[in-house]
Amino acid sequence: MSAPSLVQAVAKRGWLSKMLKPVATWYTNAAGYRQMGLRADDLISEENETVLAALKRLSPGESYDRIYRIRRATQLSLSHKLLPKNEWTTQEEDVPYLRPLIDQIEAEAAEKAALDTLAIVKN
Amino acid sequence: MISRSALTRGSQLALRRPAAAKTAQRGFAAAASPAASYEPTTIAGVKVASRDDSGPTTRLAVVAKAGTRYEPLPGLTVGLEEFAFKNTNKRTALRIVRESELLGGQLQAYHTREALVLQASFLREDLPYFTELLAEVISQTKYTTHEFHELVENCIHAKQAKLDSAAIALDAAHNVAFHNGLGSPLYPTVDTPTSSYLNENSVAAFAHLAYNKANIAVVADGASQAGLEKWVEPFFKGVPATSSGTLNTASSKYFGGEQRVAKNGKNAIVIGFPGAALGASQPETSVLVGLLGGASNIKWSPGFSLLCKATAANPGAEAFATNYAYSDAGLLAIQISGKGAAVGKVAVEAVKGLKAIADGGVSKEDLTKAIAKAKFNLLSASEVSGTGLVHAGANLLAGGKPLQVAETLEALEGVTAEKLQAAAKKLLEGKASVSAVGDLHVLPYAEDLGLHV
Repeated sequence: MSAPSLVQAVAKRGWLSKMLKPVATWYTNAAGYRQMGLRADDLISEENETVLAALKRLSPGESYDRIYRIRRATQLSLSHKLLPKNEWTTQEEDVPYLRPLIDQIEAEAAEKAALDTLAIVKN
Repeated sequence: MISRSALTRGSQLALRRPAAAKTAQRGFAAAASPAASYEPTTIAGVKVASRDDSGPTTRLAVVAKAGTRYEPLPGLTVGLEEFAFKNTNKRTALRIVRESELLGGQLQAYHTREALVLQASFLREDLPYFTELLAEVISQTKYTTHEFHELVENCIHAKQAKLDSAAIALDAAHNVAFHNGLGSPLYPTVDTPTSSYLNENSVAAFAHLAYNKANIAVVADGASQAGLEKWVEPFFKGVPATSSGTLNTASSKYFGGEQRVAKNGKNAIVIGFPGAALGASQPETSVLVGLLGGASNIKWSPGFSLLCKATAANPGAEAFATNYAYSDAGLLAIQISGKGAAVGKVAVEAVKGLKAIADGGVSKEDLTKAIAKAKFNLLSASEVSGTGLVHAGANLLAGGKPLQVAETLEALEGVTAEKLQAAAKKLLEGKASVSAVGDLHVLPYAEDLGLHV
């Protein structure tokens, strides 16, 4: 599920992160999903087992909110409109709620694979 | 070439002779008593009972006073049992299982009405690993939401689907006998409303109540005292000493009564009487259990016991008697299950048999057989199967001494026909706890059996 990312490398170098931050913020706002009331994690493709499992682990409240945001965005898309500006997703609201669960499930799968291919060394 | 049969025949004879001579010489109780009793100690605030027979394997168990009797809300014991060996702060459930497999160990979690038991069986040299594991499981399990929904609930539903009439009848008999506490079901049925009580948060809260040093006992079978002293102290350091909350610890009272449950499938009847508590000196109850008996131990013979004879005359039903001993009460239960009307007929025969004991006593020969059976039950329970482990832990938590095998055997020897007759009379005069599960059209009422409820 994870795509290669340079986030960790950039975050490690303070000066680089400081330089790229305004560009990143501009880019995220320009992507346009916040104007439709979505969060970045709403855009993750659902069509694989890992994300489906992660979606099942969401709390009922979070799951409801996610569906609400997606349906609202679909409606906006159909009617060729954007939300009024006061309803746009702010940077503070745009938190990763699904990504940690995906990471957790991927870690479980990686551990299982590692244990399945274990080599025993006897001293 | 020497024929194979001739060779084995000779070796069989050679093997048999000295062994037979030896068994004839040695006293039964004397041979069994040294290793059969668990020695209680306290290591760093943790109650420990251990017994070391210097064998190659060890069974180590944490026995917590958290059986269905003590659960504050229905279903929590079952939830806590299923949460055993799941993700902890240090490692995942998968890693726990795989590591134990690599060491050749077995992990088990089960509960009785009084105790919740987390047990590990492993090779003797792996004591440190499994001591750490058990301590980690009781103090650092995460009780996550997704495990509850993905694993725990499914396991509980699967086990509920397996509950048969016999298990439900036994639960019903306990229920009418003790109402709350010991009367709460050992496993909630599909129809028991637990969903509003059972969730990961309530289980975590219950774990906090159950798993603390005041409420657990560590029981080791086959581990050296030195090894336990070395490893229990550092690993059980993280287990809290006490908890702020309180468990449901009301003492038991016997009520008695009758309950009938309609159910598809097999029929079952349980006839319960007040029995012997753990550590109570009531040897006649054990002998009565031996006399009532159960399935025949000898092939091609119906056996001498009352229930054997009754089931032989009514094919399709099976019956056995057990004394369920708890810390402050006991239930002597005759359990009959099977198909159709045979169950009811065996129940009638069983009560008739009990009345015959109360009226006319028993023959000397039957008494001897029953005492021998009672002795065997005691020894095999404490040695072969794991019940000795649970009893030792439960007894330690209740403040009593672990089962003293040699003394109990002596008491069994002292049971006379008069004592047995008096015991049977007392049971029949008191209130019985009768439950019938299955096709209620054919199952008799307690009144029809001739019992007071």
